[in-house]
Amino acid sequence: MNTVKGKRKWEPYIWLLPSVLLISVFVVFPIIIVFRLSFSEISKAGVVGGFNGFQNYIDAVNLPAFKTVMQNTLWWVLSVVGLSTLLGFIIALVFNQKFAGRKIARSIMIFPWATSLVIQASVWNYIIKYEYGNLNNVLLNLGIIKEAINWRSSYQIEFVWECACGIFVTVPFVTFCVLSGLQSIDEALYESATVDGAGFWKKLFSITLPLVKPSLSVSTVLNIIYVFNSFPIVYTMTKGAPANKTDTMITYLYMLSFYDRKKGPAIALSVIGFVILCVCAGVYMLAVMRKEEER
Amino acid sequence: MKKIITSLLSLSMALSMVTGAAVTANAEEAGDITLDVIICQYGPNTNDWFLGTGMDGSNFVEKFEAENPGIKLNLDVVSWNDVYTEVDTRIANNNAPDILNIDVFANYANEGLLLPVSDYCPEDLFEDFFPSFIEQSVIDDTVWAVPDLASARALFCNVDIFEEVGIDYPTTWAELEDACQAIIDYYDGEVYPWGIDMTTDEGQAAFAYYVWGNGGGFVDENGEWAVNSDENVEAINFALSLIDNGYTNPNPATQTRYDLQDMFAAGKLAMVIAPNQLPTYVADKGGDINMVTVNIPANDGKASSSVGVMDRVMAFKDDTAGDQDARNEAIGKFLKFFYDPENYVGWVSMEGFLPAVNSAVEALVAADPSFEAWLDVLAGCQFYPTAKAEWDQVKQGVIAAEQNALTGADIQDELDALQADLVG
Amino acid sequence: MKKTETTKQNRTALIILLIGLALACVLMCAPLYTFQASVYTKKSSNTFVGDEKYAQTLEEVEEVAQQYREQGFEAQINEAVTERTNSKGEKTSLITFTIDQSFHKTVWSFLGSDLPSGHVLRIMACCMVLAVLCTVFGSIGTMNTEYKFLPGRTRMLRSAAGLFLLADLILTPVFVLMNNYAFWRKTSLYYQDLITDGKEEWFAKMDDFLFGGRMGDNIEAALKNLNADHSALVWVLLFCFLLSIIAAVQLRNGTIKNTMLKGMLYAFVIVVCVITLYPYYVMLITAFRSNAETLDMYFLHMLPTEWIWSNLKDIVSRGVPRYLLNSVMIAGGATVLAMLCGIPAAYAMARMNFKGKKVFLGFVIMSQMFSPVVLLIGISQLMNILHLNDTIPGLIFVNAAFNQAFAVWLLRGTFVSISPEMEQAAKIDGCTTVGSLLRVLLPMAAPGIVTTLIFVFINAWNEYTISTVLISTASNRPITVGITQFSSFNMIEWQYLFAASLLATIPVVILFMAIEKHLTAGLTSGGVKG
Repeated sequence: MNTVKGKRKWEPYIWLLPSVLLISVFVVFPIIIVFRLSFSEISKAGVVGGFNGFQNYIDAVNLPAFKTVMQNTLWWVLSVVGLSTLLGFIIALVFNQKFAGRKIARSIMIFPWATSLVIQASVWNYIIKYEYGNLNNVLLNLGIIKEAINWRSSYQIEFVWECACGIFVTVPFVTFCVLSGLQSIDEALYESATVDGAGFWKKLFSITLPLVKPSLSVSTVLNIIYVFNSFPIVYTMTKGAPANKTDTMITYLYMLSFYDRKKGPAIALSVIGFVILCVCAGVYMLAVMRKEEER
Repeated sequence: MKKIITSLLSLSMALSMVTGAAVTANAEEAGDITLDVIICQYGPNTNDWFLGTGMDGSNFVEKFEAENPGIKLNLDVVSWNDVYTEVDTRIANNNAPDILNIDVFANYANEGLLLPVSDYCPEDLFEDFFPSFIEQSVIDDTVWAVPDLASARALFCNVDIFEEVGIDYPTTWAELEDACQAIIDYYDGEVYPWGIDMTTDEGQAAFAYYVWGNGGGFVDENGEWAVNSDENVEAINFALSLIDNGYTNPNPATQTRYDLQDMFAAGKLAMVIAPNQLPTYVADKGGDINMVTVNIPANDGKASSSVGVMDRVMAFKDDTAGDQDARNEAIGKFLKFFYDPENYVGWVSMEGFLPAVNSAVEALVAADPSFEAWLDVLAGCQFYPTAKAEWDQVKQGVIAAEQNALTGADIQDELDALQADLVG
Repeated sequence: MKKTETTKQNRTALIILLIGLALACVLMCAPLYTFQASVYTKKSSNTFVGDEKYAQTLEEVEEVAQQYREQGFEAQINEAVTERTNSKGEKTSLITFTIDQSFHKTVWSFLGSDLPSGHVLRIMACCMVLAVLCTVFGSIGTMNTEYKFLPGRTRMLRSAAGLFLLADLILTPVFVLMNNYAFWRKTSLYYQDLITDGKEEWFAKMDDFLFGGRMGDNIEAALKNLNADHSALVWVLLFCFLLSIIAAVQLRNGTIKNTMLKGMLYAFVIVVCVITLYPYYVMLITAFRSNAETLDMYFLHMLPTEWIWSNLKDIVSRGVPRYLLNSVMIAGGATVLAMLCGIPAAYAMARMNFKGKKVFLGFVIMSQMFSPVVLLIGISQLMNILHLNDTIPGLIFVNAAFNQAFAVWLLRGTFVSISPEMEQAAKIDGCTTVGSLLRVLLPMAAPGIVTTLIFVFINAWNEYTISTVLISTASNRPITVGITQFSSFNMIEWQYLFAASLLATIPVVILFMAIEKHLTAGLTSGGVKG
């Protein structure tokens, strides 16, 4: 590291300036606008009125669907992030082995990551249609099922499909994060462990896991943020129907704002979501920093 | 590789900056009036007609600007999915369009955002609109919007299925139930007898079909909200019983009217309530269905009622415009040009809707005789109470109530809560 | 001592292999297939038991039954009455007469049939015979030889035995599914007249197989209510073959575990790849279907009957190239901007010590926390102030800003992973800080930079929500927004939607595949040291 001499103290800040400027103007400033709006009265058509105190927040919490939506959001984030991490980890372990066609398999794994969420959601929406969806088509014509199956017979099942679609698009990111972690592990560690008579599970828990933990935790934090903020999947597949029972917070506040035209509560809700994320990420960062200090 | 990518990217960056600059430069031309217009996308050809080559090799904007020098149109065709988001965001930014084509208007009028129609609409054009349509856009004796087109709904039945099963077209709810049961029995459930769409997109239409067929409605005879009347509750319970008995498509909460129309086109649905464009729609989808339109069944002793849907054109106030009179005149010219039978008839028949002005009727009936019957249907239609400020809330409220009821809630409680919300 | 152990192992393996095959043979002799057919059905509506119409219909049915009896069938007449009272208090009634048949078939009975599954079964039988022959000839005289001393010919024979058994394992589900398709689907598609090609021929084959050709012209009616089912025991065949394969592997080289692990590895990889590619397969085939066929409610065709290439032409005329160009400009511009701002910041973070480093890190992370959906109104107000509303530069700035955190994070990791010694050397040679960054660090960090570049590019390319609101002029829309014109809620044109999606996806996938090698490296430096 260069140690910065007295007269060049300002230099690092110059280097940071473009980045700070860009983020301040195009991210922080809108955040400020949204915060200010959350304390203002907003008409149905979107005309901004005067200061309104915490009324928008009170309205938001008292919305009939508030509890359901919060529960859904929790399930959505937990299941998508949790299962993607698990699946991504397993797939990375396998894809890290040497086998013929590994390069092709890894390239294929990238596909969902490289595809826009709107497109993914539309495709899955088409796939699971009951009357003409492709899943029924394939299963029927391969002789696997006797009659077309109604894949979306209840909203609970539709929500599961939405989560599955979320997992499908999130797994590759985890896989590649873990793969990058795995590649930095020295083969010699495994060899010496094998000599010591360690089995598969023992090696997994005492070598692999601790060493890919940094990659895993980074991908987990980013995923929590991305998945929480994910919009197109739920919006494309169900629009939250029936009666917001499949909405997550982000889609709900969009519907609230532009369908129900309750713009005040919608904006208050978005600030609530931001605070929740901040708390989660803050707790995580504190934990990481404490660990670094311990080292 | 890196070099190539970087140079490509910087090139595109430069390009985009240039286009950006060009856009800003365009808007600042002196002397001209520029009207921001938002048109909703009614069909696959809307965009082409207004902006492409759909109007005999030319398009609406080009023709208009050629005929009206000094007025520029900044016209966007926006899909129905995005139009509310787009308009609301623009209003919040004090950047409302000058002319807007959309279905609702009451919120904008109540918040003082709209110009009264009398400010800009030429008298002869105003006289030309169907009076019953104009009435639908009145708040406090002022007309705030003009109708651009309408559609009427009727019950379409698959003739072949009815003949095969040997039953008559239903006119009452009880007959409807019988017909459904007969079709289910005959086809072992392979054909859905009845289509219901209680989706977030158009669940309010389902509400209207049943409550109006039972003497209920969104409002009472004094024009006050009455969503929880006994008639309404009975009507929706009837609709729900159809679903419970397995007479309908399986996923009413997510299967839109277009899904139903697709099923009808494939011969998998015996009856569907749809607008007059259905035959064209079915033909486009490659369907070959022998169909007939009948009145929507009503409860015994109640009058059948058709549902009319009307979209509107409205003009927003713009206090920053220098010359208000010139602006009003420009808007008037836009309307005049739009409703000119030479343009309007082509557009209405392209989209397959029903007209809103008298001057277009003759040409349309000449082109397609079936229009006449539909105009009769239209005359007897009931419309949504879109002139009431709470309509958005009611619309979303009844959809939520229906969808909650689909998942087991009691419809009476749901509608009571909505009514309390509206009145209290 | 060693010799006897090998012999013992070989003997056990040989026995297990043969037992597995024998079990399979026995199973195939069991009546696993059940058929129930209403060889004749007559529905009569508005008919009541005992009335004139009833008697008339019954007579008709009797006549048919008599014909069947003459042909040697056990024709039994069944009648089902559906009586209801309708709303007017009238009674309605639907009477259904059927003449039923039911019988069982074994798997082997398909061997002589002309059905497609018959061909599969014949291949399976050949494979079984060949497997036995290979095993026998591969074992004669070499039962006592250790695996590594086996002669080449024996090795080959034993390998071949394993492969033939693998073929049987794979063909078993093929056989079952082909039968399912034939009995559950194909026949019903024919009698519903949904497909017509080769109908007569198909019905003749079915008649031959099911009724020994006695049904003749009545076969269509007879197949109408065919209820075919197989016992779940069919799947035990898989177990039998698997058992034989394991034995064959043991016989070949004595190391079951490694071979089986390898097999499972490939099976897993194939399953993952198939699931991953499935949506893209759907996108591809749907993109070239006709409008009517995208809504194929009878599921007639897995592939388009006719590949409509003009779908591409149609979307081109509806503005897709323009949207793609816009997307290139937006994503390209955003990438350049994000890199121009991100590289210095990352450099400072990696190479300099200063107060507020953690504050900056927190600041960057916080900027990721807000969803664009949430900020829609804020961003569009800002754009209004800056006069960037509805412009491509506006989107470039927003995308660059929202990707800043990711760019800084990845770049910093890359820089940290490169030792600063080279730069220090350059500085001693008289280079400025900027000079050393440009001439030394950046070239060395090229892989990481390309990774970051493409990451940002793809994120910007795929962005949807902000663009929806910011862009209203059609000619300024990026492709993600442009494709929504095909799926507006008043009409979905699946074929156009997916054709455009395909065009939007292919370039990104190619870009991503190009950096696949660097991808893991880039993420490592970002992640592990992050």
